[in-house]
Amino acid sequence: MPQAPMPELTSSVKLKYVKLGYQYLVNHFLSFLLIPIMAIGAVELLRMGPEEILNVWNSLEFDLVQVLCTSFFVIFISTVYFMSKPRTIYLVDYSCYKPPVTCRVPFATFMEHSRLILKDKPKSVEFQMRILERSGLGEETSLPPAIHYIPPTPTMDAARSEAQLVIFTAMDDLFKKTGLKPKDVDILIVNCSLFSPTPSLSAMVINKYKLRSNIKSVNLSGMGCSAGLISVDLARDLLQVHPNSNAIIVSTEIITPNYYQGNERAMLLPNCLFRMGAAAILMSNRRSDRWRAKYKLSHLVRTHRGADDKSFYCVYEQEDKEGHVGINLSKDLMAIAGEALKANITTIGPLVLPASEQLLFLLSLIGRKIFNPKLKPYIPDFKLAFEHFCIHAGGRAVIDELQKNLQLSGEHVEASRMTLHRFGNTSSSSLWYELSYIESKGRMRRGDRVWQIAFGSGFKCNSAVWKCNRTIKTPKDGPWSDCIDRYPVFIPEVVKL
Amino acid sequence: MGIVQENRVEVKSMLTAVSSKPSRSGRVHPFTTLDNAMSRHTLHVIVYYPRSPFGSFDLDSVRISLSELLSMYPPVVGRVAKTPDGILEVKCNDAGLRTLKAKVCVGIDEWLRSADGHDESDLTAWEDMPEDPSTWAPFRLQINEFEGGGVAIGLSCPHRQADATTLTVLLKSWTEAQRRRCLVHPPSFSPLPSILTDDTDAVKPNSASISEPISTKTATATFRFSSSAFKKYVEEEGIFPKASPLDVFAALFWTRVALVKRKSHDRVCMCVDFRRLLPNPLPYGFFGNALNFSSLEMTNVADQGIVHVARLINDHVTNLTVEKIRSDLNRVGEQELMYGRDLTIVNMEHMIVEGDPMMYDAVFEDGVRPVHVSYRIGNVGGEGVIMVMPSPEKGFGRVVSVTLPEEEMSKLLVDQEILRFEPKIILSGVK
Repeated sequence: MPQAPMPELTSSVKLKYVKLGYQYLVNHFLSFLLIPIMAIGAVELLRMGPEEILNVWNSLEFDLVQVLCTSFFVIFISTVYFMSKPRTIYLVDYSCYKPPVTCRVPFATFMEHSRLILKDKPKSVEFQMRILERSGLGEETSLPPAIHYIPPTPTMDAARSEAQLVIFTAMDDLFKKTGLKPKDVDILIVNCSLFSPTPSLSAMVINKYKLRSNIKSVNLSGMGCSAGLISVDLARDLLQVHPNSNAIIVSTEIITPNYYQGNERAMLLPNCLFRMGAAAILMSNRRSDRWRAKYKLSHLVRTHRGADDKSFYCVYEQEDKEGHVGINLSKDLMAIAGEALKANITTIGPLVLPASEQLLFLLSLIGRKIFNPKLKPYIPDFKLAFEHFCIHAGGRAVIDELQKNLQLSGEHVEASRMTLHRFGNTSSSSLWYELSYIESKGRMRRGDRVWQIAFGSGFKCNSAVWKCNRTIKTPKDGPWSDCIDRYPVFIPEVVKL
Repeated sequence: MGIVQENRVEVKSMLTAVSSKPSRSGRVHPFTTLDNAMSRHTLHVIVYYPRSPFGSFDLDSVRISLSELLSMYPPVVGRVAKTPDGILEVKCNDAGLRTLKAKVCVGIDEWLRSADGHDESDLTAWEDMPEDPSTWAPFRLQINEFEGGGVAIGLSCPHRQADATTLTVLLKSWTEAQRRRCLVHPPSFSPLPSILTDDTDAVKPNSASISEPISTKTATATFRFSSSAFKKYVEEEGIFPKASPLDVFAALFWTRVALVKRKSHDRVCMCVDFRRLLPNPLPYGFFGNALNFSSLEMTNVADQGIVHVARLINDHVTNLTVEKIRSDLNRVGEQELMYGRDLTIVNMEHMIVEGDPMMYDAVFEDGVRPVHVSYRIGNVGGEGVIMVMPSPEKGFGRVVSVTLPEEEMSKLLVDQEILRFEPKIILSGVK
């Protein structure tokens, strides 16, 4: 009996070593080539002795002009290279908003309010309960104060005060952490998809902190949950154009005006999942920041599937039969998300994957195209390219789907699942809560690569790749400081309510 | 008092205040036999402050300290549920404390002068328990802001779930949490000690409410007696040295009410808190009911001198042993009126701890002490209730709140024996 599993074990171990050997060979191919050549050259030099080397040198007959021209040429080429290299964009620090305990929403309170408000629609209440049971949210997520009232009071004033509360608290914290003075902010980007008052939220920030009059401010609205990475992309482009500058990005979603007050089931879903949150991020292209910056931006890839009708209509804001405005989520959301991810991976793969994976992918592609179309496509192992993954905590289904598609382990998606549990779906800021989780667990080391993936209405899939610039000590304050020791928690498939 | 007044309290909004930390899942708080015996009554505490600690309300620090405090009181934010055997208990599911905000169109002084018992009930929020109590909040808080400053904080609950001491300690702990002090009386959720419950039968399933509505219209008035009034009486009448202010004031009101009722009303029910009377005293933070109801009789009490009656009351209270408490506990049934079946005298002397009245130490901001604290009991029986409460000024003064049928109350308000003590009469509805 014990004989039977042994061969399998030894064969799988053998396979693992073969794989490792192959990866080392391909990824360090150049070194494998260069080292023998350098060794041979060194042996030759040693063999020749100093006099022979001098003879060879004299026989080359350099004169002054040649030497000068060569050196100027070399200097010219290197200057052109350094000038045309894109500036390194640093993420100096970021701060996530932690809501007060009075905004907490336990399951029982949510369901009780739902029953009291939707008195005559027990089916809708049942639906909300089923969603909440399977949502992966915990008992400590937060909704803004206006939603705690029976019935909710989503006035414009309440929406503005939620915006002021979350944005100003996050920014105060960021200023304190980084020591930045408000008058030194060069670029300000605020993204909030569903609340766009006049004057804009970016104007509100400028007014509160008395920012400079020549600030480059942008307010992005309507771009969904992936707007956070769109803002980072915009900041990167602006920082390429403006030397020696910094940029503040504020990512948030204001829940108050968008709490769906009707009873159409597909539109009640966001009520169960979306929660209060915000993040403020400081980015810079200053060389002086390279010592204190936490991350360097390596790549940012944006994929838009809006050209396809199904993708365009899958997250659609509309009025229901009674005139209440809400967001309709279609049933093929997961399939569309999978396709958008595939498109994004196809672009980002060649940029980040090690040569070994790219070669395998190329071989499998050739195999499928030329020899046998039925061959299973080779899914590159992204775990070789990244140490940490931050998947937008859009919902349990999104995280499950991506875990399956990218073949990630439980620990890789832990940050996303735990953020969904503790903070709910905070839309564009959820990626930053997840990054903060990884830092709070003390897992972020210098040189680690992080992949942030965000999905948004449209349908968009955006990803950003960051490289950790310095080993990050567990932060003493931050959204996870009082509860990180309780995590990770086991989240059951269905929570009995 | 027969004068129809328009409602001066307007409820503006309602929300649910939650605890700051999730409680242990599946936790359940059962009711004792004594708890179930109190099920016909409701309890309301109203604390009046001259200056409100609330500001914008949504972002106040007072809200945050309330949430932190509620984490220590899971039964307060839980919901009542019926077990498969038909027994009621509290499921500690963190659903929350229903909180209402209201505005009163008069100033606090005007209110204390001219409001009556029915007006005061507008300062608290109450709804009877429905058939399905899963979305019914048993504990309700109402914050009433007066014109020109001042606030009345009204906390209501079914008497089944808490007694007056429990609610007082809860409110006081809220103020302590707000001022970042340690709680003097942290909550304790242990059951009644076995010395009291040995003989009692297992808790029977709760029968459906067959409460007959109380038909008599009652009126309430509050009499504030100063320390000097007590001293004056002691000097004039020569009371025995061990007489406490409770003995004197209870005796005074018993005799005068008996006179007004024109019966030789010889039986009263004494309601005493037994937390500190047990050989192993229960802490003040004991959550639930710890009240002893015992009968006291005297023939022709209306003609007796106050000295005699006071001595009887004193003997009765001093001789409350644990055996007596246990036997009284065994006799309680359900769906009985505990308050008001006979004239009930409620003793609150235990709330004076080392000379300080507990409820008047519930201070949110330094120097802003409550100006008055009212306790109201709902569904009181027709014979009435006399509550002898501590006075805001420390010492021998007392505040006596009387609930009687309307005609008897109007006679009591002009009783010369009582007026001899020069009480300040508030919350009687008389203009």
